[in-house]
Amino acid sequence: MDLTIVLSAMKVIGYGLGTLGPGLGIGIACYGCCVGSARQPEIAGRLFTNFIIGAALAEALALIGFVVAMIS
Amino acid sequence: MLTEHAAELQLSFNPHIVLGNSTIGLTQYTFYMVLVWIIVALIVCLVAKRLTLIPSNKFINTVEYGYQFVRNDIGEGVIGHGFKKHVPFLATLFFFILVANFVGLIPGAGAATGAISVTWALATISFVYFNYWGIKAHGGLGYIKSIAPSGLPAPMVPIIWIFEFISLVLRWLTLAVRLYGNMFAGHMVLGIFALATSIFVNVGIQMASPMAALSIGWFALLFIMYALECLVAFIQAYVFTVLSAVYVSLATSSH
Repeated sequence: MDLTIVLSAMKVIGYGLGTLGPGLGIGIACYGCCVGSARQPEIAGRLFTNFIIGAALAEALALIGFVVAMIS
Repeated sequence: MLTEHAAELQLSFNPHIVLGNSTIGLTQYTFYMVLVWIIVALIVCLVAKRLTLIPSNKFINTVEYGYQFVRNDIGEGVIGHGFKKHVPFLATLFFFILVANFVGLIPGAGAATGAISVTWALATISFVYFNYWGIKAHGGLGYIKSIAPSGLPAPMVPIIWIFEFISLVLRWLTLAVRLYGNMFAGHMVLGIFALATSIFVNVGIQMASPMAALSIGWFALLFIMYALECLVAFIQAYVFTVLSAVYVSLATSSH
């Protein structure tokens, strides 16, 4: 098989693996935010801000994966 | 058939000169960026001139609602005390990114935020801004110290400081790449779906069998993706602004 095809396929596979963790992380964060604001709707605003910060931190890993897949 | 068209689609995302020549010229992304500046400046100037105490014009009311959203939900909700001086910055970011994203959704037009250079510039503005306010709030050395949260045992401080510093610098990268990645990938997906729709519908017409009518399902999928991209266009503008506000509040708050 052509090496460049293998290389580009590996990049996509690597990026796919890199999204697993952040995907799970954001899912758990969203779950916590939903449950928390259902139990105590008055702090929903603050929970949502924390959720955005947490999602941004988790997403950073996926974004690094995206960058690495693009530039390598 | 799809792959050769997809290569052509991919080429159309590369920057090419639309105005002027290769020494002084605008690529399609910078062209739409300038267009968005003009649109936003025009809208804001027109509305600011005709503000009334009791809004009667629906358009003015809409813009005012947008400003109020930035001021109350993003500014006051995230930064809290002393948010007023940051509202102009946040509103500028929000409206620029929102209009740029929505201009990009017009078929045939390009999103200014779909180019990495534009989002790097936006992220750099945000990065410099929150560091400036952090240094202003704590002083130069105080700001460097305040990167690590206070109340840690002394041997842990350098280790945590390095991690927090890396995360601080990564904010720059992630702000830029998040917006770029979402916009670029979203438009690519829309392009692929549009290509698939046209190819499958063409094949369906040529086959002229009743089963070929199913290919119209691709059209429905294209509609759903377009609606999703409208949502993403708003969410990304919101997320960029909220994260800028969060970083400002983290930099200026005293631990």
